[in-house]
Amino acid sequence: MTASPVREPAPPPTGLASSGSSLRSKLPGLNSISLLLIWAAVIVLFGITQTSTFLTTETLKTLAADQAITAIMALALLLPLAAGAYDLSIGGVMGLAVVLVAYFQSHYHLGFVFAILLTLCAGLGIGAINAFVIVRLRVDSFIATLGMSSVLLAAVEWINGGQEIVTGISTKFTNLGSDQLLGFQLPFYYMLVIGGILWYVLEYRQAGRYMYAIGSNPDAARLAGVRTGRLTVTALLGSAFIASLAGVIFTAEIGSATNQAGPPYLLPAFAAAFLGATQFRAKVVNVPGTLIAVYALATGIKGLQLSGAAFWVNDLFNGLALIIAVAFAVRASRKRA
Amino acid sequence: MSSNSPVVLSIEGLSKTFTGQKALRSVDFQVHAGEIRALVGPNGSGKSTLVKILAGYHQPDEGAVATVDGQPFELGHADAAFAAGLRFVHQDLGLVPALGAMDNLALGRGYIRGRSGTISWRRERETGEELLASLGYDFDFRAPVSSLAASERTGIAIARALEGWRGHAKILVLDEPTASLPAAEVNRLFEVVRTVRDNGVAVIYVSHHFNEVFDISDTVTVLRDGAHVATLPTADVDEPRLVELTIGRKLAEPRDAQSATAIADAGTALLQLIGVGGRVVQHLDVEVGPGEIVGVAGVTGSGREEICGLVFGDHQRSGEVLIEGRSVPPERPDLSLRLGMAYVPPERAAKAALLDQTVRQNTTISWLKPFYGPRGLRRADERAETNIWLDRLEVVPRDSEALFQTLSGGNQQKIVLARALRIKPRVLVLDEPTQGVDVGAKAAIHDILRNAAAEGAGVLVASAESEELVQLCDRIIVMNQGRAGRECLAAEVSADELTEYTLRTLAADPA
Repeated sequence: MTASPVREPAPPPTGLASSGSSLRSKLPGLNSISLLLIWAAVIVLFGITQTSTFLTTETLKTLAADQAITAIMALALLLPLAAGAYDLSIGGVMGLAVVLVAYFQSHYHLGFVFAILLTLCAGLGIGAINAFVIVRLRVDSFIATLGMSSVLLAAVEWINGGQEIVTGISTKFTNLGSDQLLGFQLPFYYMLVIGGILWYVLEYRQAGRYMYAIGSNPDAARLAGVRTGRLTVTALLGSAFIASLAGVIFTAEIGSATNQAGPPYLLPAFAAAFLGATQFRAKVVNVPGTLIAVYALATGIKGLQLSGAAFWVNDLFNGLALIIAVAFAVRASRKRA
Repeated sequence: MSSNSPVVLSIEGLSKTFTGQKALRSVDFQVHAGEIRALVGPNGSGKSTLVKILAGYHQPDEGAVATVDGQPFELGHADAAFAAGLRFVHQDLGLVPALGAMDNLALGRGYIRGRSGTISWRRERETGEELLASLGYDFDFRAPVSSLAASERTGIAIARALEGWRGHAKILVLDEPTASLPAAEVNRLFEVVRTVRDNGVAVIYVSHHFNEVFDISDTVTVLRDGAHVATLPTADVDEPRLVELTIGRKLAEPRDAQSATAIADAGTALLQLIGVGGRVVQHLDVEVGPGEIVGVAGVTGSGREEICGLVFGDHQRSGEVLIEGRSVPPERPDLSLRLGMAYVPPERAAKAALLDQTVRQNTTISWLKPFYGPRGLRRADERAETNIWLDRLEVVPRDSEALFQTLSGGNQQKIVLARALRIKPRVLVLDEPTQGVDVGAKAAIHDILRNAAAEGAGVLVASAESEELVQLCDRIIVMNQGRAGRECLAAEVSADELTEYTLRTLAADPA
């Protein structure tokens, strides 16, 4: 007997793209490392137009420090995104950590080390709740973490009655955020350390390999022996932990705690993670791509601001970057289908 | 009976060629009003092609003439088929699981609306209830269809196919309607099909199961190799004759099936299935010894396609699976692997492929431990071992960093095999191991499996292809309605005979 001559086409892989026609466009793609070239072009452009203000070490240092928090938040997203889950609550978790680490010091007069540890534990607790809802209750990660971010907004308001916390924060603590090393503020180095660890885990540990496998095809990963539930829990704990670290660093850097610190970082973080996913490795989120994306975007925004653009170019730029990055990812996966 | 009633569908000279391959060869086919016509034939006989041309999914070759009720009818157009009164219920039914029967019915034809465009729920309910009642159904009309019995879901799909067009629906085509139906619900479905026929509709019933053919059909048409073999009143044929028509040669004398058990007793079993059950499979006992390749044959719906997943732990199961006497917990692929069982799943794209990852990552995913050094996974070692497998399985291109999706089907399947063989399995469980693979790669994969067995592994292979099983296996178990039927030694059976065994029903088979 021969197999039926009529073979149904295999279903297209699920991804960012819905199944579509195999559109083979000749347009240039955001291929590997092209973001580096764009970044270089942006530097050259503003270097020529805004020589006196743009090409200064001052601009370099501000950029490096200003973007450290954004970069850490984007890094926080990488674990769940690698494992095919969304974590929209990282903005909320960061916001909670910003307030908690100050509140523990000013209200309970705890030592700053203890305050940091408690805050990180709270972040892990939120991650654990996310993981329970997503893995055990099987709520879609997008919905679960969207809901959680609203709950966290409420929690932040409730903690100090919506008041900014400015007093009672240890100067040793704020020094951790404002001190400089080799001309750069410490948060820049924290970001590099977190990025380095994450890169190692994603590229050189079994857990990272497993997360990418789940993100690629959860069923295949499970049948290849991956404990998909457990790995998803790990990823969500990781994102919550890193986001609460970002909150702690933010408070240390600013020296006070406002109740609206976290959520504005969510969108730039997604924009950088997705833009970074178009770099180095096909369609997969990765650490170097993400960091380059953060700084390429920030450089463009900085240059525009120095050229006299209004403050809102920040939001405009990040929003456009997110849409364009995902559009490129969709196009890439369509080509393959 | 049928021969007295008017011809409702007539087709003459229907051929279909797929890139040089003849799927249908000048088939003539007539169906009468108010009859149930069974359409049977082995895989590749052309029955699904015929159905797909009727439904307008494929275009026929030039020269086919078709009429419905004496009116010319253009084959190969979905709209024309619908207008002519042809209705189809496909295997997957196409229902929305979360919606109730009422909504699923309405989705087929549009909701009943009042003058302002508002949906008239009252009329909607009345119409639907009346329709389902006329088919003999009585269940909660608003319950999501996912909560209903499988036969009730099939009933809804049939009702939707016929709905609102009474008098218009002339021909109902059912494609393997019992494929996912528990045995107890089959009779329920048959009653519905008879009700439909008694309303004057011609029913074309496509099935692999000969017992169903004898239970339900008035006449039966046999296709083989794309050609029409015979159309007969079902009452005039018995099962051996029908099998003979389907296979295309005389029935062999029944063989002594007892000799088969001798092999299983020879060594202690590596893999043991004790009373394993799933959706279709019931109380299955199988043993696979070291160095033995055991095949699982059976038509679609026999349980053949379920066994491997049950053994490895892909789906929920009852009963026990033992490897060298140690119990394998259900639904824990990771523990199955650790106990030394490797699995090659069916549907490579859905269940095995990490499409956007490299060949290396696809090969090593199931066992990363040997690559751990003080600084984590050593890429160079991974690459070196992947290359060894690429050489051993002759994968082209020999590039461990190529993306998996850029490989051809045969090479992809070899990588999935490499993933399984790499863990040095005691037991290999494979479902359709040569799916979508060309002839050369197929032979290579068979060699690989024979080598694995020669080195002492126990191999369990399920396949829809009799030829493959006969070539590859030592012993073959024929699944029939969820149970192990006949068991035979591959050396003593031809592919045709094996196909014949899969088609024969349990009741008719003394083994």
